[in-house]
Amino acid sequence: MHRLNGLKRIAVVMMAGILLSISAAAISGSMVVEGSKAAGMKDCVAPTMDMRRNHMDYLKHQRDEVVHQGDRSDKFALADCVSCHASKDKQGHPVPVNAKDQFCDSCHDYTAVNITCFQCHRKVPEEK
Amino acid sequence: MSFFFALLFILASIVFVVGLALKINQYAKTPAPLRIATTPAPITKTGVVMRLFREVVFFESLFKGTKWTWIFSWIFHMALLLVLVRHLRYFIEPDWVPTMVWALIELVQPFGKYAGFAMVIGLVGLFFRRIFVDRVRYISAPSDYLWLLVLGFIGISGLMMSFVMHTDIVAIKEFFTFSGGQLPVDFPLIVHLSLVALLMLLFPFSKLLHVPGVFFSPTRNMVDNPREQRHVAPWAKALEEEQK
Repeated sequence: MHRLNGLKRIAVVMMAGILLSISAAAISGSMVVEGSKAAGMKDCVAPTMDMRRNHMDYLKHQRDEVVHQGDRSDKFALADCVSCHASKDKQGHPVPVNAKDQFCDSCHDYTAVNITCFQCHRKVPEEK
Repeated sequence: MSFFFALLFILASIVFVVGLALKINQYAKTPAPLRIATTPAPITKTGVVMRLFREVVFFESLFKGTKWTWIFSWIFHMALLLVLVRHLRYFIEPDWVPTMVWALIELVQPFGKYAGFAMVIGLVGLFFRRIFVDRVRYISAPSDYLWLLVLGFIGISGLMMSFVMHTDIVAIKEFFTFSGGQLPVDFPLIVHLSLVALLMLLFPFSKLLHVPGVFFSPTRNMVDNPREQRHVAPWAKALEEEQK
């Protein structure tokens, strides 16, 4: 049988590697944490892919609308993110949504993004 | 799309790494038997290390040569360094490195983000230098313009993604760490990645070789000791031995 020379062999191995890695997994599943309200829902306030890509723009400070114009009709609100996405620990206490491996942290840590929302805003759902 | 870019980047990485290794090997093996250090030069090895350090970090020769070129060039290179460190976040996963290192990568993010502007400003300055300084324009080759443009557009497309239209960086990271992500089809991203691949493919054949080359410049990396020690070129040594 005709034998592949070194370079061709490397090329074949490379190709196989790429195909394997591409077919291995589509975008990893949901980042929604267990025990949060969001876990039981189908979609966020907008489709999941939209939220994944654009939540940072949707959540930019809405000071002008909210404080100056008193307009709270926007469906995007950080407080709602927190109340829906915070999980609860074994004692039933809410876990801060930006704590290690929680909803916010899992992706933001992965991409080295340091979020400062919660230096001012609350990170657990409001008690009712 | 993702498949094409996967192939492109694997090819580009191979060319980049192997090409650079061969070039460095060539530089290391090129004989430079005689002392040609530009004086005043250090007379000890430690001195040479310090000279090269100043050369690499502060661009000393360029500073002594042309201040305007130095300003733009130094701005560009330092900004590029910050930007490159910022980009580590797309290729390293948090649990691959100690917490300290990841914290540093996190810390550098805002600096790298705005360094993008400094980088482009430096490149624009260098581009104007090529166009408006007569003696520089006279000696400018097409590739000199090419690199300024390529780096410039890499910078601009990158800034676009930071400040104008985001792309999906989680998907990009999954793509580059072989976790099966699909590249998002966003125009600035396509431009950015294509130009980076071009840069990697041409790097080992271009003037960008000044990166390893600076460490091998004989006028900079030699100890100034022609009187303390005799240096004989191999061909001269052969002649000498014949005469004995």
